[in-house]
Amino acid sequence: MAVQTALLTIASPAARAQEPTTDGYVTRKEYEELKGQMLAMKKELEALKKEKGQVSKQESLESHAVADVQKQVAPKQQNAESQATGDMHKEVIAEAAPSLAELEASLLGTTKFLLAGWAEAMYEQRNGRVSTFSASFNPLFLWELTPKILFDGRLEIEPSGGGTNVNLVNAQISYLLNDYMALGAGEFFSPSNVFVERFEPQWINKLPDRPIGVYHGVLPNISVGAQVRGGFPIGPTRADYAFYVSNGPSLSTFNARTAGTLDFNSYTDNNDNKAVGGRVGFLPIPGVEVGYGFETSKPGFQGTTFADLQALVQSVDLEITRDSDLLKGRFNVFAQYAWSKVGHAVYDPDGSLGFGPLPLTAKRDGGYAEIAYRPTKLDIDFLRNLEMIFRWDHLSGDPSGLGDPSETRWTLGLNYWLSPSTVVKAAYEWDKPNGEPNENALFFQTAIGF
Amino acid sequence: MITTLNRSVLAAFVLLFASTTLSLFADPKANGKAANTSNSAASTDSYMGLSGEELWSNNCLRCHNIRPPTMYSNAQWDVIVHHMRLRANITGQEQRAIVEFLKSAK
Repeated sequence: MAVQTALLTIASPAARAQEPTTDGYVTRKEYEELKGQMLAMKKELEALKKEKGQVSKQESLESHAVADVQKQVAPKQQNAESQATGDMHKEVIAEAAPSLAELEASLLGTTKFLLAGWAEAMYEQRNGRVSTFSASFNPLFLWELTPKILFDGRLEIEPSGGGTNVNLVNAQISYLLNDYMALGAGEFFSPSNVFVERFEPQWINKLPDRPIGVYHGVLPNISVGAQVRGGFPIGPTRADYAFYVSNGPSLSTFNARTAGTLDFNSYTDNNDNKAVGGRVGFLPIPGVEVGYGFETSKPGFQGTTFADLQALVQSVDLEITRDSDLLKGRFNVFAQYAWSKVGHAVYDPDGSLGFGPLPLTAKRDGGYAEIAYRPTKLDIDFLRNLEMIFRWDHLSGDPSGLGDPSETRWTLGLNYWLSPSTVVKAAYEWDKPNGEPNENALFFQTAIGF
Repeated sequence: MITTLNRSVLAAFVLLFASTTLSLFADPKANGKAANTSNSAASTDSYMGLSGEELWSNNCLRCHNIRPPTMYSNAQWDVIVHHMRLRANITGQEQRAIVEFLKSAK
């Protein structure tokens, strides 16, 4: 029985192996089949791996070869590309550079032009006259054609009557000969009159009006002619000079009031003799200059008894600008004194003009002295921009004694500087012509330099 | 004529005396610089021992307030200082030193 049971036990699995079961277990047959399939798959896999390895080697070899080729080719290619790029870049730059230069040149050119100048508006209330507003616009044209050649010209444009008055103040061509000498020709500010040359613009002139002694027939203001000027060092100091030849003044001979006076406002000459003049200046220390100016001429009309009369105008001037720690600011001292003499002549010798015969050696003189103080070293902005000015000016009477009397003025001014070249001025002037009622005046002015 | 010349010589001496007297109120630094006898500097922005800034201050302030270097372009400063050289009779070296300073100060 046991043997039978054993046999059944042994056979049962075999039987069960041979027969599909339905209890989740595989039969022997199925097992063997699966095992066989697995072994076959394993072989196949190994074969594939082997095959794959061979292919990889092949590919690696090939890729190395390609890389080597690429390495050989790429630098050449990069070099070629870089070269091409560089060339293109250079070409672009070469094309661009002149364009930029051309652009700049087209904007500015080699000629340098500047429109500068100044403008002012003023209110004047003078004793014995109608109070009045006035204004003027003074464009200054500056052309630097080359570093040696400059043209400068100025207009004065102001309302007058019912229209506009346009006056050519100066127009000069100048050439820089060297570091110490310049030549000029045209219409220029007379070098013998330092106020006109340097202080006339109303943003530079510290008071609303100009000194009578340098503007009313004692000194020339504008000359038409040619000049040579410059500066040069003398050790630690410096000197400057200006000499000119120009159309001369005219002598007044027909009017009793003005007989013997020089008219510098007629810019055409009345004879073949030309005026010769100039100024020399010396600067002993920075900010200080003393000068001497002169002009000699024959002002009489050609062909008249006055043709050989000699006129001599002379002037001395002083300019001081100094900063002072003691005074906590800057002070300016400007002074100029001029005198003129026309040789002896008899005016209206036959009395036909109603005032002669009048023998006369015509002499005139005038000048001004001005001191200004600005507290530039104070900490308060408002006070730093204030400036106080006091001026004395004088003009002698007409030489004939029949014209305008001598006149002396004292002016006190207070300025406020809105910018280095923009100023608001207020001034009161005590004006006392000799033997006549006073002509005291109150001024308000604003001026801008640009 | 002799009387006239004597008057002019006297006036010149008075002015010279006044100018040297008033220099007592001056900034001693400015006086010291003026006494410098060094030769022309090698660089273009100085002359006779004075820097371009000092030349700009000394010369331009003689007549008017000085404008800041930023107020004008380089080309405009060329024109302005050229014009001012003629008006103030400064030397070519001073002109170049002043222009150099104005351009560098911008």
